Amino acid sequence: MFQRLFAHRDRQVIRRLAHRVARLIVVLIAVTLADRVVAAGEEVRPISFDDAILPVLTAKCGRCHGAETQKGQLALHSAKSLRAGGEGGPVLVAGKPEESRLIEVLEAGEMPPDGKNRLTADELASLKTWIHQGAKFTDSAEADRVTQHEVVPILLLRCVVCHGGRRREADLDLRSRDGMLRGGKSGPSIVPGDPGSSLLLKRILAEEMPPRPKLTEAMVKPLEPAEFEVISRWIEQGAVEAALPPDLAGTADDPLVRPQDREFWSFQPPQRPKIPEINDKSAARTTIDRFILARLDSLELKPSPPADPMTLLRRATFDLTGLPPTPEEIARFRTETENRNPEEQAAAYDLLIDRLLESPRYGERWGRHWLDVAGYADCEGRREQHLPRPDAWRYRDYVIRSFNADKPYDRFLQEQLAGDELADYTHAAEITQEIEDNLVATGFLRMAPDPTWANLTGFVPDRLEVIADSLDVLGSGVMGMTLKCCRCHSHKFDPLPQRDYYRIAAIFKGAYDEHNWLKPDTVGFGGALNAGLAARNLAVVTTTERNRWLEQIQAIDAEIATLKSQGNGADIQAKIRELEGRKPREPKLFALWDSGDPSPTYIYRRGDYQHAGTPVSPGFPSVLNQSGAPFEPRPPFANAPSTGRRLAFAQWLTRRDNPLTARVIVNRVWHLHFGRGIVRSLGNFGVMGDRPTHPELLDWLACELMDNGWSLKRLHRVIMTSATYRQASVVDKRHSERDADNQWLSRMPLRRLDAEALRDSLLFAGGTLDESRFGPGDPVQVRADGLVSTGSRRSVYVQHLRKHPATLLESFDLPQMNPNCLARSESLVAPQALHLMNDATVRQLAERAADRVVATQETSVDRVKMLFEQILGRDPSEDESSACVATLDQLTDVWNRQPPEPKDAKVPADQRALRTLAHTLINSAAFLYID
Amino acid sequence: MFTAASVSRSSVTLPTFTSGLTRRAFGTSVAAGLHGAALMHLLGTDLHADNSREASPARLPEPANLRPKRAQTPPAARAVIQLFMNGGPSQMDLFDPKPALDAHHGEPYFSKIAGEVENVKDAGALMRSPFQFAQHGECGMWVSNALPHLARHVDKLALVRSMYTTNITHEPALYLIQTGRMISGHPTLGSWVVYGLGSENQNLPAYVVLDDPLGLPINGVENWSAGFLPPNFQGTRFRSSGSPVLNLKPEQEDPGDVQRLERDLLSRLDRLHQRNRPGQPNLDARIASYELAARMQMSAGDALNLSGETQGTLELYGIGREPTDSYGRRCLIARRLVERGVRFVQLYINSQIWDNHTGLAKDMRAACERTDLPIAGLLTDLSQRGLLDETLVVWGGEFGRLPIAQLPADKDEQKAGRDHNKNAGVCWFAGGGVKGGVTHGATDELGFTAVEGRVSVPDWHATILHQVGLSHEDLNVEQSGLRERLTGVHPARVVEEILESPSGR
Repeated sequence: MFQRLFAHRDRQVIRRLAHRVARLIVVLIAVTLADRVVAAGEEVRPISFDDAILPVLTAKCGRCHGAETQKGQLALHSAKSLRAGGEGGPVLVAGKPEESRLIEVLEAGEMPPDGKNRLTADELASLKTWIHQGAKFTDSAEADRVTQHEVVPILLLRCVVCHGGRRREADLDLRSRDGMLRGGKSGPSIVPGDPGSSLLLKRILAEEMPPRPKLTEAMVKPLEPAEFEVISRWIEQGAVEAALPPDLAGTADDPLVRPQDREFWSFQPPQRPKIPEINDKSAARTTIDRFILARLDSLELKPSPPADPMTLLRRATFDLTGLPPTPEEIARFRTETENRNPEEQAAAYDLLIDRLLESPRYGERWGRHWLDVAGYADCEGRREQHLPRPDAWRYRDYVIRSFNADKPYDRFLQEQLAGDELADYTHAAEITQEIEDNLVATGFLRMAPDPTWANLTGFVPDRLEVIADSLDVLGSGVMGMTLKCCRCHSHKFDPLPQRDYYRIAAIFKGAYDEHNWLKPDTVGFGGALNAGLAARNLAVVTTTERNRWLEQIQAIDAEIATLKSQGNGADIQAKIRELEGRKPREPKLFALWDSGDPSPTYIYRRGDYQHAGTPVSPGFPSVLNQSGAPFEPRPPFANAPSTGRRLAFAQWLTRRDNPLTARVIVNRVWHLHFGRGIVRSLGNFGVMGDRPTHPELLDWLACELMDNGWSLKRLHRVIMTSATYRQASVVDKRHSERDADNQWLSRMPLRRLDAEALRDSLLFAGGTLDESRFGPGDPVQVRADGLVSTGSRRSVYVQHLRKHPATLLESFDLPQMNPNCLARSESLVAPQALHLMNDATVRQLAERAADRVVATQETSVDRVKMLFEQILGRDPSEDESSACVATLDQLTDVWNRQPPEPKDAKVPADQRALRTLAHTLINSAAFLYID
Repeated sequence: MFTAASVSRSSVTLPTFTSGLTRRAFGTSVAAGLHGAALMHLLGTDLHADNSREASPARLPEPANLRPKRAQTPPAARAVIQLFMNGGPSQMDLFDPKPALDAHHGEPYFSKIAGEVENVKDAGALMRSPFQFAQHGECGMWVSNALPHLARHVDKLALVRSMYTTNITHEPALYLIQTGRMISGHPTLGSWVVYGLGSENQNLPAYVVLDDPLGLPINGVENWSAGFLPPNFQGTRFRSSGSPVLNLKPEQEDPGDVQRLERDLLSRLDRLHQRNRPGQPNLDARIASYELAARMQMSAGDALNLSGETQGTLELYGIGREPTDSYGRRCLIARRLVERGVRFVQLYINSQIWDNHTGLAKDMRAACERTDLPIAGLLTDLSQRGLLDETLVVWGGEFGRLPIAQLPADKDEQKAGRDHNKNAGVCWFAGGGVKGGVTHGATDELGFTAVEGRVSVPDWHATILHQVGLSHEDLNVEQSGLRERLTGVHPARVVEEILESPSGR
C-alpha cells in the first residue's frame, strides 16, 4: 500500500509517510523485544487466543458479553469486539496486564458478578500471560477488519460539515459508502481495495483536506493519524459494508433490560388505587384527604384544623396568581365568609378558587413554574458576549397562554416536543395562530445555553453539550429520569443502558444533529466570529403578523422611493438612512424543526465524540416501554421535510400506559402547592430517587389527570379544595414529634415568598405594578456597582439574562438556568436583609404604598389598618395595631423635630412616619412568609 | 440602616427548641430545599457533630452552612489567595526560557500545529521572546526581566512549567480552570473550598472576590458562581472603594431616632409573628439573618479600611502610585481578609490583560508593571506577618501561549503577539505548605507542549484542595443522581513534587 502511494506523492508527503513507517517499525521492534525479554527469563510458550483465551471468555463471560447481549457495550466473543472494548473504552492494554481493565475487574472479583462462575487461577494466569505477550489474536486479520461503522463516524466528524447534509461541496456526500463510491466532481472518493488510488486519502495526505486555513471557520480539526489508518485499512480491505446489528431493545429478547428490572414501582403504569378507609370520615372533604388521613391515622396523628378564611385567601391567591389578594377581593371574600357557617365558607372558598383559576394572572404564575422546567432565558449564554434571543419571548407568551387556556397537558407536551410535526407549516396557504403556536412551542427544546453561534465554541463537542442539556431538560423535567447519566455509560442504578440514551438522541437527530448543525441566529448582533453555519431562524409567523410587517416595510419603501425621486442631496440620503433604520426586524420564531435528513447515530464510548461505538436506531427507552410499542415514525404529513420521529416519541410519551409522564407532572403540581413532592426528588423517579410518601395518592392523581383530559386547572381545583390544603400551618407538639418534616402533611407548611412573588408584591403594594401582558422582555439596567434593576412589569416579563439577573430576584433564589431548574431553593442569607432594608427602590415602593394610604385615611388607626391590608393582605391584630400606632406617633414627633432632606421638604411629618412604617412592614416576617 | 449602636444592643437570639422539633429535624426539613441551613450556625453549635465526615455522598445541606468544619486531612493552609490572570500569560516570555526559539526564530511552524491554532489566518513563524531571562535567588529559578519584583521572591515559589488544559477558547477554558467543567453551572474552586471547610469568620463571607473597578473578567460573575451548590457558597464581591457590598448601606440614611424606632418596631412585629407560630425555625433564622447583616456591615467596612496601615506597608504594595495603586489595594485587602479568617480570596484585574495576541513586548510588560510589585509586596507582607505559612497563594491564568507569532492585520512583526495554547502554560504557588524555589515540569524545546511532569487542571485543583485539607476524591455532593466532585470523573493527582510534606495523608 505504501509503495503505491509513494508513486503519487511529493517529497514532503513521502517524508511524513516514511516517518510513520519508521514509527511503526520501532513499535514492532519494541514488541518483539518485549517478547524476547519474557522468553529469556523463563521458557514461556506463546499462548494461543483461539485455544486458550476465547473458550474461557465465552464460557465465563459470554452470557452477558456475547454477540447478542453486549452488556456495557462489551462483547468478548471475537477478537475484533474484544479489541474494541466496551462503553468505558478499551479493556486490553497489549503487553500490560496490570493496566488492562479486563484483568482489573477479574482480579477485584467484580466480574463475573455475584462471585459465580469465577475464572480459575490458571485461566486468569494464562489470560495475563497472553496480554503480557502482546494480546495477539490467532487470526489477526479478523481482529483488524474494519467496517464502515468505524469509518463513517470519522468522516462525519472531519469532512461532513462541507461534504454531506446541508452543504455538499464538489457535489460530494461522504456520509455513506454509496456516497463515497459515487464521489464528487473529481470522481469517486474511494477505490475499494486500492487506497493509493482513493482520492479521499490522497487529499487528506496532501493536507488539502480538511483545508488548513478554513479549520476554524468550518469548525473541524485535522484527522488524527490513527483515524487515517482506519480509513485506509477499510479501503484496502475492500470497503466492506457491515449490516446494522439487530435492534433488540424493548423486545422480549432485550438482553440489557430484564423483566425484573421493569418491576420497580415507577416503571409500572399508574393504576387507579382503592380509596382507603379512614377513622373519621367527617375530616375528609375530598378523595385526596382520604389518602392523607389514612396515613395520619396509621401514625396516630390528626390533621390540623382549617386555616381561617383570610389566611386561606392569601395562601390561595399567592399560590394561583403569584400576587396578594386585591382590596376588592379581600372585601368580597370577607363578606362571603364572615359570620358564616363552615359549609357557606367552604362554598365561598370553592368559588374563590374558580375565580383565581380564571384570572389571567394564573397563567403568569404557573407559566413561570413551567419556564423553570424549560430553563427559559432571553440570551444564549456560555460566551462572554451573551447572544440575545430576540424571539424567545414568544415561547414565554405561548406558555402563559397555554396555562390560561388550560391546554391539556398531553397536547402541551406534544406541541413542545414535536410542534413542527403536528401541522404542515411548509405548505400551508395561511399560517394560523395554531400553526405558529405549534412551532413556537418547540422553543422548549431550544432553551439550553448555546454558545455555538461563535466559531470557537461551535465545534462538535460544544454542540453535543447543547444536545445533552436539551435531553437533560426533557429527561429530568418531563420524564423524571436521570437520563444524562447514560450519556457516558449505562446508568449505574436504573435499567437504562447507554444504548437507550443514544436511541433517544437519534429520535432528536432530525433537528439536533451535531454533524448537521444550525447555529443560533446572530442577525443584528455585533458579536465577532460568527460560526460558518446556516442560522436557525424560521420566518413562519402568522400570516396576519407577516402581512403587517410587509406593509410596514412597503410603506417605508414607498417613502424612500418618493424621497429618491426628489434628488440625491446629502439631506435626502440622511433621511433615507433614517427611514431604513426604522424598518422593523423581520418577525421570526425561536424554534426547532426537523430537517428530514438525520446523520446516523453512534454510541459514544465514555460519551467521547472521538470514540464512536456501535450504531443505534431511534427508539424508546426499553424499561419505560412496558407495552413493547414499536417505534414507527412516519412522515407526519404529505411532502413533510421531517422524519416524524419526535412526533412518534411525543405520542408515546403521552400514552396512558406511559409510567412516568402523568406521575411526574402531578407530582410537580403537588410540590408547588405543598412545598414538597409526593416523590421528593422531582427529577428522579429512579432507583436512587426518593420513594413516594403516598404512592396510591400519586397514582390516583395521575389517573385523575389522564381521565379528565389532562386538565391542570381541574387538578389544581381537586388539590386546593381538599381539607389537606386548607389546613392551618401551625406546628403543635405532636406534629413536631411524629411528623417533624411534615412529610405526612399533618399541617400546611409555612412558606417564603419566592423571588417573583416577592418583587411583584412589592410593586403591587407600591401601586406601581404594570400588568401589561406579553411581548418582548422588559429590559434590565446594570448599574456601575453591579446592581441590576428592573422596571415595573411582572417578573415573568422581565428580561432574563443569564449574566445579569435582577439583583432582588437573584437574592431571593431566582435560579441560574444551567440548563434548567427543577425546584427552587429557599435560601436565608444576610444580603436579603440588606437588600430589603437598604435598597433605594424598595424604599421608594414603601413610600408610594404609604402615600396612597395618606391620601385616603385620616387617623393613625385607619392608616395602619389600610397599610396592613395593602402590604399584608389582612387586618392587623390588636397587638400589631397598637404597636404600629404608637410607633407612628413617635415617628411623627421625630420627623417634626428633624429638618427634612431637601427633596422631602414638602412631605408632612405624619406622611414620612407612615413611609417608615410601610418600610417596616415590608421588612417584616409577615410580609415574607405565607401561612 | 444599621448602626454600631444597634448592633451592640442587639444580641443573637438562639431559639429554644422546647418542642420535639429537633434541630436535626430542622436540618432535615431544610434538606427539602431550604438553604436556611446557611444560618444554622446561628442557631447553636450542636446541630450536627462537626467532626463527622460521612463516607456516603454528602446530601445537601448536611454541610450547607458556613460553620468551620474539620478538614478531611491535616491542612497545610487555612486560606487561599488566588491571583487570577485572565487571558493566558505567556510562559516563554515569563518563566520558561526557550533558547531554541532564538535559534529558530522566523522559521515556519504553523502547519505542524494547524489544529491547535485559534486564529489561523494570523499565524506567523516561530518567534523568540522579546524579554531577557536570568536566574534568580538561591534556587536559580529562571524569570524574565518582565517581572523584576517577583524575581526577588523565587525562593518562596513553586513554579509549574507543565500545566496544560483542554480548550483554547477563553470562556470554556475559564469555566474549566474555575469549576473543572468546560460548561457553566458548576461550583467554582472557591465554592468547593468553603463548602468543605466553612468559614472562620461568621461576620464576613467565607469566599470574597476582589474584582477590578475597571471591569469584570471574561465570564463575569460566573467566575465565582456556586453553581448547583446553595448560593451562600458563591463568592461575594467586595468593591475596593466605596461600599464594599451591594446595599450594605442605604443611599440616604434616616436620622438615628427613626432607625431605632423602625428597628424596634420590626423586632416587635417579628416577635408577635413568631409567638403565634411556634416551632418554625425559619422564622428564628430570618431574625438572625437581619442581625448578621448588621454585623457584616461593620466587619466588611473594617476589613476594607486601609487607614490603619503604615506608609511602609502601602508602599510595599505600590499603593498611592500608578500603575500599581488599584491592584496593590486589592492585594493588601486580600491580606486583611485572610487575617480575619476569610477562607478564599480571589483577585482579578480588569478584562484580560494577559491575552497578548498582538503587541506582546509592550502589552505584556504593561500587565507585569500593574501586577508585579503588588504581588511581590503581598508575598513580603504575608511572610513578615507569619501568614504565608498558612496561606496558599496561587498565580495563573486559563491557558498558555504558542511559540509562533500571531501577526496583526498589517503583518508588522514588531507588533506581533502570541495566540492561545492549551498544551502548555505556567502557574506558581507560594506558602501554604508548598516548597519554595522549586521548578516542576518542562515543556518541549519550543515551549509548545508540556512534556515532563504534566499537570492537568484537575491535578491543579486536587493540589489546592489537598493543601487546605480536602480530598478531591472525598469532597462531593449529590446532585440530580450524580455524585459531583470538583475534579469530576477525571483522574487527578496531587502534585506532590512541590509539597513540603507530600505524604500528608
